[in-house]
Amino acid sequence: MSFSLIFKDELMGFYKSKAMIFLWIGLSILALLIHVSSSSGDMSLSILVSLLVSNIGGLLASVMLTVNIINEKDTRVYDLFLIRPLKRWHILVSKFLAVYICVSIACVLSICIGLLVDYSKSQIAFELILQNIIEPFIMTFSVIAISSAVGVLIGVISPSIVVGVLLVIFGGYYVSSIPSIIPFVFNIENPFNVVLILGIIITTVLMALSIFLFNKKEF
Amino acid sequence: MQRKIKCTKCGKIITITGNPGETVTATCPSCNAVRDIKFEKSQEYSSAETIIQIRNISKKYKDILALNNVSFELKKGEIFGYIGPNGAGKTTTIKILVGLLNKTSGQVFINGYEMPEQKSQAHKFIGYLPQQVAFQQWRTLNHALTTFAKLSGMQKNSIQPRIDELLETMNLIKFKNKKINQLSGGTIQKVGIIQAVLHKPDLLILDEPLNGLDPESRYQVKQILRDLSKNGTTVFFSSHILGDVQDVATKICILDWGKVLKIGNLDELKSEFVKEKQIEIFFSKKSDNFREINKISGVQNILEKSYEKILVNISKTTSYDEVIHKIIQTLMKNECRIRSIAPVDPTLDEIYQYYLRKGGSKK
Repeated sequence: MSFSLIFKDELMGFYKSKAMIFLWIGLSILALLIHVSSSSGDMSLSILVSLLVSNIGGLLASVMLTVNIINEKDTRVYDLFLIRPLKRWHILVSKFLAVYICVSIACVLSICIGLLVDYSKSQIAFELILQNIIEPFIMTFSVIAISSAVGVLIGVISPSIVVGVLLVIFGGYYVSSIPSIIPFVFNIENPFNVVLILGIIITTVLMALSIFLFNKKEF
Repeated sequence: MQRKIKCTKCGKIITITGNPGETVTATCPSCNAVRDIKFEKSQEYSSAETIIQIRNISKKYKDILALNNVSFELKKGEIFGYIGPNGAGKTTTIKILVGLLNKTSGQVFINGYEMPEQKSQAHKFIGYLPQQVAFQQWRTLNHALTTFAKLSGMQKNSIQPRIDELLETMNLIKFKNKKINQLSGGTIQKVGIIQAVLHKPDLLILDEPLNGLDPESRYQVKQILRDLSKNGTTVFFSSHILGDVQDVATKICILDWGKVLKIGNLDELKSEFVKEKQIEIFFSKKSDNFREINKISGVQNILEKSYEKILVNISKTTSYDEVIHKIIQTLMKNECRIRSIAPVDPTLDEIYQYYLRKGGSKK
């Protein structure tokens, strides 16, 4: 009951925020511009766009979560939640899921717009597009999940917003790129399966660490 | 609550869990010896009427001892004023009470539940206002209060009427649908008080609740606290506004450098401070015969402060009501006209300063 309540609240808070409005519109326009300006109708362009879109979306998700958590810690917003019969992990997981869902939808929307442009330009069979849509989505979901978890962890451990944002830009960004680099660097067969597995493992580890540290924290 | 017991057969330490008043059968994992253990309320927790029990709690921040063996109890319906200078340890105590900080040593019980081990059960009884109250900025006032009411376990159909009732009482109904970031500091403080009392908690813990409030709002808040106390809610509040503490508190604790200097009701606090009982009399017309009051039993001596003001020292055992009545009769018989007559009553401010000076050597 308490988890679903604060999850719904967080979702409502994030999807209406200015950063999210920028993502809804900005990412779609970006994908549209790349696809329109590209001359080839190659499907690998969708992978490239999904990488770009998920990296931008992931970075914003990290920064949003870090700033939000540090800000709420500093202003003592959590005091009123933590003295109620509510588990501490509910706060972190609800924030993570709210941002993850919002950013993922924004990225999926922009990738779909790009694919539609491809379809209209090059007359690729729609079935082929549907077959190829899975891979960019796996990439996107994995990168955003890791980025969001990184944002939560840095939000929990950082003493100030400036330190938090610097950690996200110079550290978190590279962590979230791991699943999109490793399978291709090592030339692994079925790279997208590895991307998915790495995404789930890294996200779970980061969230578990965040919850452990948040539970230990004194307010 | 948890208790550690020693097996009578093999000496192994076993941890058992139970509620106050409950009997738990403990089996030793080493020798399989079975023993019934009763979680006596008197053993771990003094009585059903006791809402807060703090036993010798200490809190250390690195080298600084913020709390040093603080102990006290609060019974149902008491209004407890917790006063002390900045850095005395008031907020630290409050945060330990609500489970936001861990104590270094000692025991804390809220309604029979040990903190912080059983804080999820204890939190059902608590309403809390932090010193610095803040809400998520994107919420409207009504939305924030609804969320806290739901999290506190209030029934869905009783939430909105209760929020409206409290918003009306605090004159905030016009701000109901405003966003939190559009509200002033004083209004946010009032919203903080509303969220604390919303679910009619058994125990209300307020850290500087009257800070930043205008005189009318302070009066309303004090009235709310008195009403809640009449209905059995225990109120624990810290404040720097000693006049307000004197107005509402039924029990007062003076804290300095993490140590309790004095605890008791106002009369108990006065008893050490007031060395002699005095009555102050103002005359509109004074005749020399006013010295006749020296003959009244219980009157020790008279101090003339000015033409129109005298102070009458009376013995500690004499009742004010009895001696004042006799003084009035004597003065009227001797053609003195009285403008006012009243016992000299020290304010909490004077008592507070006295105990701080007295405890100053402990710094």
